[in-house]
Amino acid sequence: MAESEEKQPTKTTPPPRRRRNLKIDHDVEVPEPGYAWMPRTLEWGVRVKPGAKGMTMQGLNVGIYGEIPDRWDEQTRMPRGAYPMAGIPPIGFALREKREVWADNAADLYEEAIQRRWIPASDIPWNTLEPLPDDVEAAMCQLCTELSQAANVEFETIGYWLQHMSYGYHEVKLFLASNMFDAGRHHEAFRKRALANGGGLGIESKGEINRMILESKGGWSETSLLLHLLRGLFIQTIYRYGERFAHNPAEKVMFARALQDKARHTAYGLQHLRYAVTHKQDKALVFQQLLNIGERVFARELQEPVVLEPLAVIFGGGIEGAKAGMREVHHMMGDFVRSYLASTDWIGVHRGRAFPKGLSRYLEA
Amino acid sequence: MSTQQQSLEAVKDYADDYDLKLDWLDTRGEWGIKATPDARKGLTLEDIQTGSYGEVPDHTDNMTGRLRGAAQREGAYRTGGYTVRTKSDIWLTNAAMLYEEALQRQWSSATDIPWDTIKPLPDDVERAQCQLATFLTEVEFVAADVPGKWVAATSPDYFEPRMFLITQIMDESRHLDVFRKRAFANGGGLMQRPDVTTSGVVGSIDLSKDFTEMSSRLHISGEGAVLTIFRMGELMAYNEAEKYMYRLCGQDESRHVAFGVMHMRYLAETEPERKAEVHAYLDEGERALVAGNQNPAARDTAQSEALAVLLGGGQKHYDEGYKKLLAIRKRQSREYIQRIKSAGFGERFENGRANPELMEYAKA
Repeated sequence: MAESEEKQPTKTTPPPRRRRNLKIDHDVEVPEPGYAWMPRTLEWGVRVKPGAKGMTMQGLNVGIYGEIPDRWDEQTRMPRGAYPMAGIPPIGFALREKREVWADNAADLYEEAIQRRWIPASDIPWNTLEPLPDDVEAAMCQLCTELSQAANVEFETIGYWLQHMSYGYHEVKLFLASNMFDAGRHHEAFRKRALANGGGLGIESKGEINRMILESKGGWSETSLLLHLLRGLFIQTIYRYGERFAHNPAEKVMFARALQDKARHTAYGLQHLRYAVTHKQDKALVFQQLLNIGERVFARELQEPVVLEPLAVIFGGGIEGAKAGMREVHHMMGDFVRSYLASTDWIGVHRGRAFPKGLSRYLEA
Repeated sequence: MSTQQQSLEAVKDYADDYDLKLDWLDTRGEWGIKATPDARKGLTLEDIQTGSYGEVPDHTDNMTGRLRGAAQREGAYRTGGYTVRTKSDIWLTNAAMLYEEALQRQWSSATDIPWDTIKPLPDDVERAQCQLATFLTEVEFVAADVPGKWVAATSPDYFEPRMFLITQIMDESRHLDVFRKRAFANGGGLMQRPDVTTSGVVGSIDLSKDFTEMSSRLHISGEGAVLTIFRMGELMAYNEAEKYMYRLCGQDESRHVAFGVMHMRYLAETEPERKAEVHAYLDEGERALVAGNQNPAARDTAQSEALAVLLGGGQKHYDEGYKKLLAIRKRQSREYIQRIKSAGFGERFENGRANPELMEYAKA
């Protein structure tokens, strides 16, 4: 139990009002206030009204508070639009250019993430899990191990970057906090699934893609390219197929909820990457170079059987159906590759002949 | 041979015929786990701390990001730059429970605050409310940036505290957002940012090299001080929206403080040889608590004057508000002392080590 003494009856009902009896000493000497802060504002008279979706972050972007500079030189945590004070030591934010982090949809996606929050413990109908054949359970557990580890990489990656993003672009910081929170929930939900139905965790990932994402330290955009676009779209596709081939309502809800979250992460990623490409001349070339490497790493790791084989077993209803299941895996990979290439086109990075055969072969599926 | 093994053998024969490797079937974590959901709370993290999956190592060399209990793979890349690999550095007994509680009590600043109850306030009161909101919108996200770094630096073998820290990042995002919203909701705007540094100097939260050092500053002294303020929200709120805001933030903050207290307690119990070091962090934390970088109730700051205006009911009643502020500061000090005692470091209040000014506040 946290420090608050009361138990709250619902998720969002605040604690009931408590009497706070302060013992006030009336004999103390009161220093004269300076009130120097009283007139210190850059814009006064703002009155934002809640709209159909309530009081949203995007709604606050009015007057000077909605002016989002291309470069944020303030090296402290000063909120955008606050009255600056001289002499505050710098912290040293590495990311101070709008094009390094920005996406126009970040504020709305943040609010959406909050509205669509869910709780693996109680929103997944765990009691609908029924024993599965050993091979199917093993495949499901291996898949969940892989997905849980991928989610772990996602929140570790964002956790590293969050501190480097300046306060001038707080909408992005807020969205990425929600992205981390979602990834934590995925990490949790897939672990729970692996441990809830007579199975257990499988074998860890070899980690080639994980390493590529975690060690991408040159810039947030470059990390987002690998995290949200390349791997993110792949995971999103798995979630979609996971929902379709769920064995029970628990798995269906788990994949459906995770898919909804993942779609938000992709939406931010694509919007940001497109913004980055359109606001920095050589960014598309940088992305091409990175994807030349990244796609090959990705295709190579797909040769490891820990993802596609379990999926084939799940889709085929068991190992004996794995051959048919593998055909479904090829369809899934085809879906992924098509949406991936459409996305790279959309952000302005046309893969063309550089696209590796290890992935293009799925286009025939 | 068990039915399961027979079935798997058959599977491998089949795999050979169809060019499937299926070696993942041979290498798994503990098998046969069937965690059962609680009828009321669902399937919680505590429920899945079962069998070997509930065994938390005192030290870990897991550098590959492997999930606790998953089978190890030869040749896996050492992807994790984990510096926190000792249990006592981050552990607490109830992180799993606090995590689940955090999920159950998430709220939305857009829709759970009754914004329509805000009515125009006298200019001095509105300015004071906006000054406080400006301060809080700045400092609250310190508690999101910093835990993010530690999540990335902690081994997945200690995933329960990491999961809790992720909820804290989400909570603090909401705090940044709700106070920014309040500043823009009633004819005001943002005001002066704090004129003292909250970060980036020795002894500040974000420069800590050790998790306990960071937690003692962030969770115990920093958030503890703000928690007292939130708990006093009734006294400085002028409408239901503000009351909800302070109550909901206080609810979140109390979890964060509880995390810090329980972690320090675990450390005190398992590594008493580190207590002297932790006392040194507390020395710094107490200085900050009375000096005021992260404490809105500390003296002679824009936010403490704003608080006095709010507590008194306007500039005309500043004296009355200031006296209430002193009473809050006293409560703040006493709550801090209680937390430190609960964490197992209460000797500092007996042996004269505690900050004398803090002790004066507590006695006053």
